[in-house]
Amino acid sequence: MQISDVVLLCVLLGCMATYVPVFLCLFFTATIGFVFFLDMPLALLVQTLFRSLDKFSLVVVLFFILCGNIMSRGKTVEKLINMADALVSWMPGGLGMAGVIGCGLFGAISGSTVATVVALGGFMIPALIKNGYDENYTLGLMTTSPNLGIIIPPSISMIFYSMISNQSLEGLFLTGFVPGILIILCVCAYTWIIYRKRTDIKRLPRPSATRLVEIFKEGFWALMLIVIIFGGIFSGMFTANEAAVVASVYAFFVEFFIYKSMGFKDIKEVTVSSAVTSATLLLIVAAATCFGRYLTFENIPNRVAEVVIASIHSPFVFLLAMNILLLVIGMFMDIISATLILGPVFLPLLGPFNVDPMHFGLIMTVNLAIGYCTPPMGVSLYITGALAQRDIIFISKSVMPFLAIQVGVLFFLTYFPGIVLFLPKLLGYY
Amino acid sequence: MLGTIFKLTDKLISRIEEWTLFIIVMSALISLFANVVLRYGFNYTLAWSEELVRIVIIYSTFIGASVAIRQGNMIRIDAVVQIFPGMTKGLTLYSHVLMLVFAGIMIYHGYKITHLQLLTHQKTIIMQIPLVIVYAIMPVTGVMVFIRTVQAIFREMRLSE
Repeated sequence: MQISDVVLLCVLLGCMATYVPVFLCLFFTATIGFVFFLDMPLALLVQTLFRSLDKFSLVVVLFFILCGNIMSRGKTVEKLINMADALVSWMPGGLGMAGVIGCGLFGAISGSTVATVVALGGFMIPALIKNGYDENYTLGLMTTSPNLGIIIPPSISMIFYSMISNQSLEGLFLTGFVPGILIILCVCAYTWIIYRKRTDIKRLPRPSATRLVEIFKEGFWALMLIVIIFGGIFSGMFTANEAAVVASVYAFFVEFFIYKSMGFKDIKEVTVSSAVTSATLLLIVAAATCFGRYLTFENIPNRVAEVVIASIHSPFVFLLAMNILLLVIGMFMDIISATLILGPVFLPLLGPFNVDPMHFGLIMTVNLAIGYCTPPMGVSLYITGALAQRDIIFISKSVMPFLAIQVGVLFFLTYFPGIVLFLPKLLGYY
Repeated sequence: MLGTIFKLTDKLISRIEEWTLFIIVMSALISLFANVVLRYGFNYTLAWSEELVRIVIIYSTFIGASVAIRQGNMIRIDAVVQIFPGMTKGLTLYSHVLMLVFAGIMIYHGYKITHLQLLTHQKTIIMQIPLVIVYAIMPVTGVMVFIRTVQAIFREMRLSE
C-alpha cells in the first residue's frame, strides 16, 4: 500500500461518515487524487463527469423508475395484492403469504426496494394486524419481503452491475427469477409452519371460480404489464431500454384511461419525482466513473487482486469471504453506491477464482439487498418503523427469522451457480 | 422584505426546474415510444431519437441534482447522524460547504469547456445542435447548485433561530 492510497481511503471514508452526499464523496476523493497525487488537470475530471452521462443505455434507469412510481401511485398495487390474496388466503397464514407474493409481483414491475416497502407496507401492515397476525411477524415480513423488488427483475442494481461488468443485462435479469421464487417459497413455508395450528386467525373459505375470474379480470391490466416487460425482453421483441419505455407508456395509459386514478397534475408530479430520483442515482454513476478513473490510473484494482490472490487459495473461501464482506458493507452503505464503488475492485478477482461474473452479479445483488433490512442502517427498517410507529430495536428483532431465510438462500445460491445460471443458459443469454 | 424575495426566487426556480424536467423527460419518452411503434408498424427508425435521449439524460441529471438539493433528498450515508442526532446540523452545514466548492468547480471548468466548444463550432451529428448548448448545462448547473445550496443554508439557519 502506498501513502496516497491510505490518504484517499481516509478521505473517502471520512466524507461518507460525515453525511456528505455519496456522489460528492466520490468526486472529492477523485479530485484530491488528481490534484495532489497524479498531477493531472482537474478539467479532465469534469470532462469525465459529463461524458459518463452521455450514454444511451442510462435511459433504462429513468424509465424503470418512472414505471414503478406510476404503478405505486395508482391502483395497480391494490389489484396485484387482491390477486395474490385470492390465490393463497384460504391456507393457514394465507394473508401473510399474500404479502410476500404481492411483493414478488410488484417486484416484477418495480426495480427498487424502497418503493416496494412504501407501496405494500402501508397497505398490508394494517390488514395483517387487523386479521390477528402477530405484530412481530407482520413487521418482519413486510420489512424483508420488499427485497424481492430489487432481486426480481427489473432491478436497478443489476442495471448498474451490467454497465460496469459488460454482462448482458437481459441475462442478469434472468438470474433473478429463481432466487426470488426460492425466497417466496421459503417464506411461505415458514408462515405455514408457525400458523398451521393457530385457531385465533380467521381463515377464509376457498374463493369460488367465478370470484377468481372476477379478480383476475380486474387485475388483467396490471398483470399485462409484467407480460409486456418480460415477454417483450425475452422474446427478443424489445431491448431492455425499449421495454422500460413501453412499460411506462402502458402504465400511464392504464392509470389514466382505464383505472382513471391519475390526472394531468399527477402525471407531471410523478414524472418530475422520477427524474429527480434517477438524477440522484446517475450522479453517483458519474462520480463513481471519475473515482474509477483514479483507481485505474493508480492500478488499484489489480493491486488489490494481487494481495487477495496471494492470501486466499480456494474459491470456496473466496466466495465466503466476499459474502461476509458484502453483508458487513451492506449494513452501512446503500446497494447502488456499494455496487458502483466495489464492483470495479472485485471484478478482476473473479477470473483467478473461476467465479462467473454473471453469477457474482446476482450474489452481490441479493447480498446487498439484505443490507436494506440489517441493523443499524437498514433503510427498510426505518420506513417500516415510521409506518408502524415502532422503534428500531423492535423491528430489528422482528426481521431476524426472515433475514435468516434470505441469508440461507444466499449461501445456497453462492455455492450452486448452476441453479442461478440455468435460465440464462436456457434462453441463450449466457 | 428579504424573506419575500427569498420565497419568490425559490418558487420561480422550482417552477422552471419542474417544467423543464417534465418536458424533456416526456419528449424522450414519446420519441422512444414512437421509435418502437414506427419500427414494428412501418419499418422505419427515427435516427435522431437516440441523440435526443442522450441530451435529455445529461440535462435531467444535472437539473435533477439542483431539485434534489432543494428537497434535501441526495443519497447519503446517515450512519453517524442516526447514532448522534445532535450532530446533524453541523454536518449538514459542512456538506453544504463542500457542495459550494463543487458548484465552484462546475462553474469554472464547465465554463472553460463550454467556451472551447464555442470556439470550435462543433455540432451534434444528426440534429446539428451546437455542442455549446449541450455543454452549457455544466456551468448553468454550477450556478443553480450554488443558489440552491445558499438557500438551503439560509433556510436551516432561520429554522434554528
